[in-house]
Amino acid sequence: MLRVDERVEVSVDRVGEPIGFWWRGAGYLVKSKPIRWFARREWWIEAARVQRGIGAGVLEVEMWRMSASSNNKDKAQYELVHTLDTSGGQKHIWRLVRVYD
Amino acid sequence: MSGFIHLNVASAFSGHFGVTRPERMVEAAAAQGVQAAAITDRDGLYGAVKHIGACLQLGISPIVGVNLAILDDAGNQLGRCVILAHGNNRGLGWAKLCKIVSVAHALPKAVKKQVGIARSALADLLRDEGGCTVLLGPDSDVGLEVLAANRSGAIEALEAWRECLRTPGTLAIEIVSHITEPGTELSVLQARRMLQLADATKTPAVLTNAVRYLEPDDALTADILDSARHLEALGLFKPQPNAQAWLKPASMMQSLAVEITEDRDRALELFSTTAKLAKLCALDAVGDCDWGRPKTPEKAALGIEGNPFEVLWQKAHAGIDRFYPRANDSLLTQVKHRLGQELITINKLGFATYFLTVADVAQMIRDMGIRSQARGSGAGSLTNYLLGISGVDPIEHDLLFERFLSVERSSLPDIDIDVESARRHEIYRAIFKRYGSDRVTLLSMQSTYRGRGAMRDSGLALGLDDEQIDEIAKNMWRFSARSFRGALQTKPELAKFAEEVEQDRRMSLLVDITERLDRLPRHISMHPCGVILGDISLLRRTPVEQSGLGLPMSQFDKDDMDPMGLLKLDVLGVRMQSAMAYAIREISRVSGKEIDLDAVPRDDAATFRDIRTTNTLGIFQIESPGQRELTGKHQPTEFNDLTIQISLFRPGPMKGNMIAPYLDGRHGFAKPDFIHKDLEPILRETWGVVIFHEHVIRILNQMTGCGLAKGDELRRSLEKPRIKPQIETFFRNEAAKRGYSKEVIERVWSVIEGFSSFGFCKAHGAAFALPTYQSAWLKTHYPTEFIAGLLTHDPGMYPRRLLLSEARRLGVKVLPVDVNFSTDEYLVEPITRKTLDANEPQIGVRLSIRDVQSISDAEVARIIENRPYKDTADFYLRAKPTRRTLENLALIGALDGLAAAEVTRGDVLARVRQLNAIKNRKAMNANQPTLDFSVLETMPTGNPESSKQDRVQAELSILKMDISEHVLELYRPMLDEMGVLRSDELVGLRSKTEVLVAGVRVATQTPPMRSGKRVVFVTLDDGVGCSDSTFFDEAQSRCSHILFNTRLLVIAGKTRRTGVRGVSLMAENAWDIRDLWEQWINKKKTPLAG
Repeated sequence: MLRVDERVEVSVDRVGEPIGFWWRGAGYLVKSKPIRWFARREWWIEAARVQRGIGAGVLEVEMWRMSASSNNKDKAQYELVHTLDTSGGQKHIWRLVRVYD
Repeated sequence: MSGFIHLNVASAFSGHFGVTRPERMVEAAAAQGVQAAAITDRDGLYGAVKHIGACLQLGISPIVGVNLAILDDAGNQLGRCVILAHGNNRGLGWAKLCKIVSVAHALPKAVKKQVGIARSALADLLRDEGGCTVLLGPDSDVGLEVLAANRSGAIEALEAWRECLRTPGTLAIEIVSHITEPGTELSVLQARRMLQLADATKTPAVLTNAVRYLEPDDALTADILDSARHLEALGLFKPQPNAQAWLKPASMMQSLAVEITEDRDRALELFSTTAKLAKLCALDAVGDCDWGRPKTPEKAALGIEGNPFEVLWQKAHAGIDRFYPRANDSLLTQVKHRLGQELITINKLGFATYFLTVADVAQMIRDMGIRSQARGSGAGSLTNYLLGISGVDPIEHDLLFERFLSVERSSLPDIDIDVESARRHEIYRAIFKRYGSDRVTLLSMQSTYRGRGAMRDSGLALGLDDEQIDEIAKNMWRFSARSFRGALQTKPELAKFAEEVEQDRRMSLLVDITERLDRLPRHISMHPCGVILGDISLLRRTPVEQSGLGLPMSQFDKDDMDPMGLLKLDVLGVRMQSAMAYAIREISRVSGKEIDLDAVPRDDAATFRDIRTTNTLGIFQIESPGQRELTGKHQPTEFNDLTIQISLFRPGPMKGNMIAPYLDGRHGFAKPDFIHKDLEPILRETWGVVIFHEHVIRILNQMTGCGLAKGDELRRSLEKPRIKPQIETFFRNEAAKRGYSKEVIERVWSVIEGFSSFGFCKAHGAAFALPTYQSAWLKTHYPTEFIAGLLTHDPGMYPRRLLLSEARRLGVKVLPVDVNFSTDEYLVEPITRKTLDANEPQIGVRLSIRDVQSISDAEVARIIENRPYKDTADFYLRAKPTRRTLENLALIGALDGLAAAEVTRGDVLARVRQLNAIKNRKAMNANQPTLDFSVLETMPTGNPESSKQDRVQAELSILKMDISEHVLELYRPMLDEMGVLRSDELVGLRSKTEVLVAGVRVATQTPPMRSGKRVVFVTLDDGVGCSDSTFFDEAQSRCSHILFNTRLLVIAGKTRRTGVRGVSLMAENAWDIRDLWEQWINKKKTPLAG
């Protein structure tokens, strides 16, 4: 397993499921139905504030796991983290966190 | 698919599991448009009644269940399950659920700490009749096997359940997905496999979201509750997987169902099975829970025959001769008429058994020889007086029955009985014995997180240092922790912490989570005084668990009583009653005089004279600094004055600015304004000021002719903003019809409109005034015995050392601790007079050995049992004190009496150290057969006498009392040089004199003020009395560092005269005496520099 933590650009379909992403200059196509779940964060280590109403985003993140491949590589499992940047508009942020060969 | 009923919902009443209060949860469910809402708290029905009440109010059906740990017969864990009661079966399901919960709290001793039910016991309860459905969810043994992907194990586990619960409808599988990582607990995969298992075995399956909180944001609070439940910091235990356990709307539950089933039809079926179970479990509050129907012990249990009302009639009338032996005809007519009226009301409401029950309990308490006294609005009832429940004559004191009970209201009235606190457990046990434990349980109460507690558990969650938390918590004074962050900016004593919050991320988090925890339920405990008296159905209506006292306790709290139709009797332990009973016992023991305190005339001039000096320390209700100040201004002369004073000194009257006009009227500074001559008879006693609920009721009655009962209803409704306009219209119209002028109506309305939240029930005030008067009477006539009672039962707000200060002031002789005379109580002891001076006291208070630091009960018992001792060695050998106790006793002079008169304290200490050394030697060589008696026989000599300073320090550290002299005397040379005044000198000064006072802090108060600004009152004791200083904003910030914590203070301020004997200080600054002392000593040491 390869741990990474890099921003990636992701294309999603109508219901928000990833269909492909660009990572280190290469395009990857999703080959399986992506699985989504929610994982937790250790906010007591990371967060600056947890006041009432701050929202569950401090505590949990949306995760996606899918198999994907690029032109010149074999298929592998990729895990992405999806967050919303609420500071300016509702910007989707995707980060690649794990790759399973 | 429309509407989804959540069947697994933990509320905040689930022992640090759920986050949301039931009322809010129900409101949200109703807003989602469902027809029913469930509550399934962990380990009990703690929130059930509040839930049902909220459902009824919103017109939806309540569903109630419990989340319990299940055990097999060997005591092994079978996970947790939700058990739901079926409804509309005349209470069958509800009774079963109550029983299941009670059984779960009565596990055999080996597993006592745990709450849970054996599956076989559960099966026994549900066999044949059914009545509940058990949900096997992800936390059950079946769910755990499924999670482990052990299909055969899962089928086996499920088979075991099906074997146990064969009655149809008693078993279902609960499908839950919190969309966690695939393959883990609460994942879609686990849910899908659970469903497959259900389908394969034809077990009904329902969908829930295992709800712990209302909104995703609350998940953060759930993390903190988890930490409090585990008693471990976050990160040290397995936390919840994410923030999905919220009350999701139907649309989201629908997507979940589709994701789990991957089949739209199966998803639909899952929804409809869930709805079907919800329907089965919908409770009919009245039919199932006997909602609102008052229940009292049966006639047989009370030992009465025939019609209860006739019995009550006879008992009450029999009281007339006893309580009005010398009444004239007109009074007798009045008594009989009033009693008749009251009895008619009681009969109409069907409460005869209730009164007989309370009278029976009151009689039982009297028969046990325990002092008792009814409190609250019940004192307004002549019936209560004649039955011996209350000791205050409602006719003499002009109290209203209608404030207590009327046909306009049908809820069970509250009668509270104050008893000697030291004996209240005896009474509880006697009540259980008399009525049987199937009709009686104790009441519970839910304590809630408040500032400091919230802060402590938040600190625990973040893994912060205990001491650090304590330091901050110490400075949390009178603000709601809900607005902690706001308080950081405005409270000077938090300034240092506010800086830390700026710089330290964890401190900032601490503030946020303290705010989150504030006001959530914290833990359940025994209500300090509530006993529930019911009929034989009681244990089918309420679940019970063991209280700390060992007696069963209902899981319902006081707010649940009325809705459940349960009769609660408050038998409240009052330490003052114990102290007074003790004083009377000592009077009888030492002098042989028997005193019937309740029969003492209530107009004793000497008693009122003493009260007026404002030296009210130790007197019930009027010893606080504020009450002392008010006593100085008010100068009470009769019993009714005490009733008024106690009622005036409440947050309401203080906020409503009632005190000043009352005092002005009383002292003739202003002419009383009765607004209208018709109101004069009502308000004469308070110089035109409306103070009592009874005043408002009478005014409404007078001006509208509504009657007193209706008057009380109107008064109560004044507090409800929605109904208030109707009352206003009614009042204006009716008063106008009766010819009151527009101006009068206007003025009266403005008075009673503002009154609602301010006033006080006069009956309650009068009931309080009785022990106030009685304790003052004892203090005046039997000061030594009274002080002994206070020291033994510690009833007041002040530390024991202040009582000693007061004893000194009163000239009460205090006898030091002496191992040959002291016991576990503060005994009154005759003194053999050394002189012929008749002014020397003949009795004194012998200090107790009980309060010697680190002494054990066993040591106390041994010391008392082996008396008398002839010398120190004898004491050492036979009383067998620990080394620490022996030395402590020597240090406070408790062994001085064992030595010859010329022996110094230094010699005694040296002796004790010798003896303690023997023990050391013995321990080192266990074979040594006998003690070294040569050591036992020699008494060291030539050691110096200990200094006064050493003695006082030893007394303070070992007994927490300065006995030889007041601790302030140690600093007297400096204080004299500084020109510090003694507290008794203040009363002779003019207003606005600049002074310094000093003393030991005995009280710090921050009462609510009319302006909303915080004011801090500090009371110092300097040995001759107390001085009271007021700190306003500026002074608070000037000395914020010592405002709340420093013990020995010098305060600078200006005097402020508040009445004939009232004077207090407007503080300007304050210092720690010990800091000043250090500077002073240093200055003395340093020779003057050229």
